[in-house]
Amino acid sequence: MSIVIGDTPRTAPPPPEPETPRRSYLNETSGFWSWALTVDHKRIGILYLVSITFFFLVGGIAAGLVRANLLTPNGAILTEDQYNKAFTAHGVVMLFLFLIPSIPAVFGNFLVPLMIGAKDLAFPKLNLASWYVYMIGAAFMVWGLLSGGIDTGWTLYPPYSSRFSHSSVAPGVFGVFITGFSSIMTGLNIMVTVHKMRAPGMTWGRLPLFIWAMYATSFIQLLGTPVVAITLLLLLVERLAGVGIFDPSIGGDPVLYQHLFWFYSHPAVYIMIVPGMGVVSEVLTCFSRKNIFGYKAVAWSSVGIAVVGFLVWAHHMFVAGISYYSALLFSFLTMLVAVPSAIKVFNWVATLYRGSITFQAPMMFTLAFLVLFTVGGVTGMFLATMGTDIHLHDTYFVVAHFHFVMVGGMVLAYLAGIHFWWPKMTGRMYSDFWSKTSATVIFVGFFFTFVPQFVLGYHGMPRRYPNYPEEFQVYNVLSTAGASILGVGYLMPAVYLTLSLFFGPKASANPWSATGLEWQVPSPPTVFNFEYLPITVCGPYEYAIGVDQMGRGLPEPPGAGDDNPAAKVGPTGPIGARPKETEVVG
Amino acid sequence: MLDGNRGPLPAIAERASVMADLFEPLFWYITAWTTAGFLLVCALLTWCCVAYRRKPGRISTPRILGSHRLELFWTVTPLLVFLTFYAWGVYVYDYAVHPPADAPEVYVIGKQWMWKAQYPNGQRVIIGGNPKNMTEEDRQNIGALVLPLNRPVKVTFISEDVIHDFGVPAFRQKIDVIPGRYVSTWYQPTKLGEFHVFCDQYCGAWHSLMVGKIKVVPAAEFDAFLEGKGGAQGSPNPVDGSLADKGWKHFQRLECQSCHMPNAAIGTGKHPRAPNLEGLFGRDVPIRGGTTIRADEQYLRDSIVNPGKHIVEGWERAMPGNYGTMVSEEDLNALIAYIKWLRPGTQLGPNNNSVAPYGAPRETKAPETNKSPGGKQ
Repeated sequence: MSIVIGDTPRTAPPPPEPETPRRSYLNETSGFWSWALTVDHKRIGILYLVSITFFFLVGGIAAGLVRANLLTPNGAILTEDQYNKAFTAHGVVMLFLFLIPSIPAVFGNFLVPLMIGAKDLAFPKLNLASWYVYMIGAAFMVWGLLSGGIDTGWTLYPPYSSRFSHSSVAPGVFGVFITGFSSIMTGLNIMVTVHKMRAPGMTWGRLPLFIWAMYATSFIQLLGTPVVAITLLLLLVERLAGVGIFDPSIGGDPVLYQHLFWFYSHPAVYIMIVPGMGVVSEVLTCFSRKNIFGYKAVAWSSVGIAVVGFLVWAHHMFVAGISYYSALLFSFLTMLVAVPSAIKVFNWVATLYRGSITFQAPMMFTLAFLVLFTVGGVTGMFLATMGTDIHLHDTYFVVAHFHFVMVGGMVLAYLAGIHFWWPKMTGRMYSDFWSKTSATVIFVGFFFTFVPQFVLGYHGMPRRYPNYPEEFQVYNVLSTAGASILGVGYLMPAVYLTLSLFFGPKASANPWSATGLEWQVPSPPTVFNFEYLPITVCGPYEYAIGVDQMGRGLPEPPGAGDDNPAAKVGPTGPIGARPKETEVVG
Repeated sequence: MLDGNRGPLPAIAERASVMADLFEPLFWYITAWTTAGFLLVCALLTWCCVAYRRKPGRISTPRILGSHRLELFWTVTPLLVFLTFYAWGVYVYDYAVHPPADAPEVYVIGKQWMWKAQYPNGQRVIIGGNPKNMTEEDRQNIGALVLPLNRPVKVTFISEDVIHDFGVPAFRQKIDVIPGRYVSTWYQPTKLGEFHVFCDQYCGAWHSLMVGKIKVVPAAEFDAFLEGKGGAQGSPNPVDGSLADKGWKHFQRLECQSCHMPNAAIGTGKHPRAPNLEGLFGRDVPIRGGTTIRADEQYLRDSIVNPGKHIVEGWERAMPGNYGTMVSEEDLNALIAYIKWLRPGTQLGPNNNSVAPYGAPRETKAPETNKSPGGKQ
């Protein structure tokens, strides 16, 4: 460990706060058509934000029904058929209408051009089309849910879904098929934008890690989604035309569907989690005032996950009649894909080392992410290991593991992102107290909801069971109690974020004293983002030196005014820059 | 579903098979490592958050860019640990999916929403399910899947409709039950008593009622059960001929022997239209196109319900394709048991019918004069 003291360039003083423009992207034009026909990536991001928040609510209500019904061993409120439709609605809506578009479509749209110094995405009209395609797909799904519901589970395994279910499978599947195109459009747009539209000086090595994560995600969206699209189309052909593809009684192979489905749907869980990892890298560095520990490791582990994630799909099928040797191979590859996630977690923790950490809401959500995602990751090892998966497969252990990664990981990262970029998106600050309370309540509620499910799964309670043996009741009641706490936690941001739009104090351009280019434009940004061509001179996260990516000084970090004024001697203090130590480890 | 509340769940779930004894050490081995890893991350996070929270006078931070040595350390260490999970997991999986060659075989059929078991001696038991979906006869036969203590039993599964999954938590075993395909697993119970069977793969409206019972009995009682004595399974226990015997009757009803003639009949002026089946099971069959296929249960099933799938070298396709609609999965299990039983010279000729073919007038039913094949296995 060598320590180099001094000799770093003196930083410029922080730039003057940009004048809050009278016209931002929010009020430049108004009226219904100014939103319905907008090609502004920021407005499209807001359209997505509103849509997915609505579907999160729908999926959440379905989850509430499921949990309430499990209070008693024979179903507290729903019939079996209603229960089957409720958990299917929960799964289909949450996965296809919330998790997959959440960060890529909301923050990807809003932030990618801002972060790389571009005016818009590469294909603004395609971007708008992606939202319409998403809404059309969502409309089909809602049609399916309202016209009798879908009772197949979100995995839609044939021959049940193709030949036996009497519910509205066709519109629902068609809706999923359509939203896939929206996902492809977004992925394509972001990938081309990152390749072609970076501002001068924004080299690949200076991209914020959120951009790397979005890039890796786009790669999965582009390569994986067409496979699920064709799979679902084949399912529809079998269901509607009776052509034997998956049903063995008419010459098909049901295991073929599972191969095709998981070839997409396993990488799809990385579509859901990798963007969240990008958000975490942004927030952790900002609130610990540190460079990311191992930029290259974190960036390339995203790409590694995206590539290796395509080679592990059959680990969903260890007991589904695949050959012994393919099970051996897929279990081995699954062990490999777990490594990049472990690298990221350790790098994030190392980033905090010797930081100057503050605990605003984005940081609280991110810390909760780290804890919950770690649990989600390590419990995946039980399922990757063949000897234990034989028992745990299709039990509540899987449900708990999946929710730890998808909710504990992805939803908390999404909330961290919302709280981090809310001032940029809306120009308003929200309540510090209530946001921290919400993060705490969600964290606690989450633990209570899903830890009992690990116990249930270990004891063999199968998933998708409205009737269960009485000995499982205690843990189900615990889980439902936790879910109600979790529900309250989710409602809080809905209230205080909405209130902040009307009553929140105006946010400055860079309220968190962050380094990214998106913070160098006013909050909320103007329509074309940058009034000048931003020239990037250094990598992201130069918090130690105290410069943003354009080499200018940073404003005071939030809460710095609470400190003893005499102590404000840091490079980001009002007395300006001073030589400081640089440490290079290893 | 087992009756009554069994009290709170124990810390270690109930173990009742060799597989459960193999599962538990591996499960807790992974638990120990992952808990340690999780606590390490939590401890480091807590320490950083406390020790490096922003304090007055310490806004400045060092510029630490990373360390390849540390990164290599926390890349290789988890990988090595994961590989120990992998190796141990392979060992347990290998045990679970390879039944011993001499284990007696039981057939279980899944359908919406019940489990049906067939034993080699012809007993038929409904292991459980939703009574509303059963015929009156099935309801009379609701009992338990009887297994012997400390003796391996191979169970072969097939589904009549959608994908089900036969999960036995106390055995730590689970296998998807797929339509159109035989899959097998095996159990060696180590504890007497009754245990849950769950359908673990979502299969429709009454999925959660597709539960059943396994009853482990002493080996002697199991043998008595196979001979039709005792009431271990909790339902009537008629041994009305072995499975192979039932299969022989189906064989005649379907008039299989008019084409698949016994060797003895060949050379008496009749020309066989289909290959002889005696001694077929387990042989490598030459298939048109130059490949060979081992004549296992799956091959026999495919050749009955989908005769065009494999054409034996030197034969024309002559078999009608509609047998799949005429026989149930239970009949197929019986037919296959009969074909497995056939040894050279044991197939009875077409003139030795004791069972009338389908569609024959009832009053012409031939007297049962022939010795039944099969017998107790």
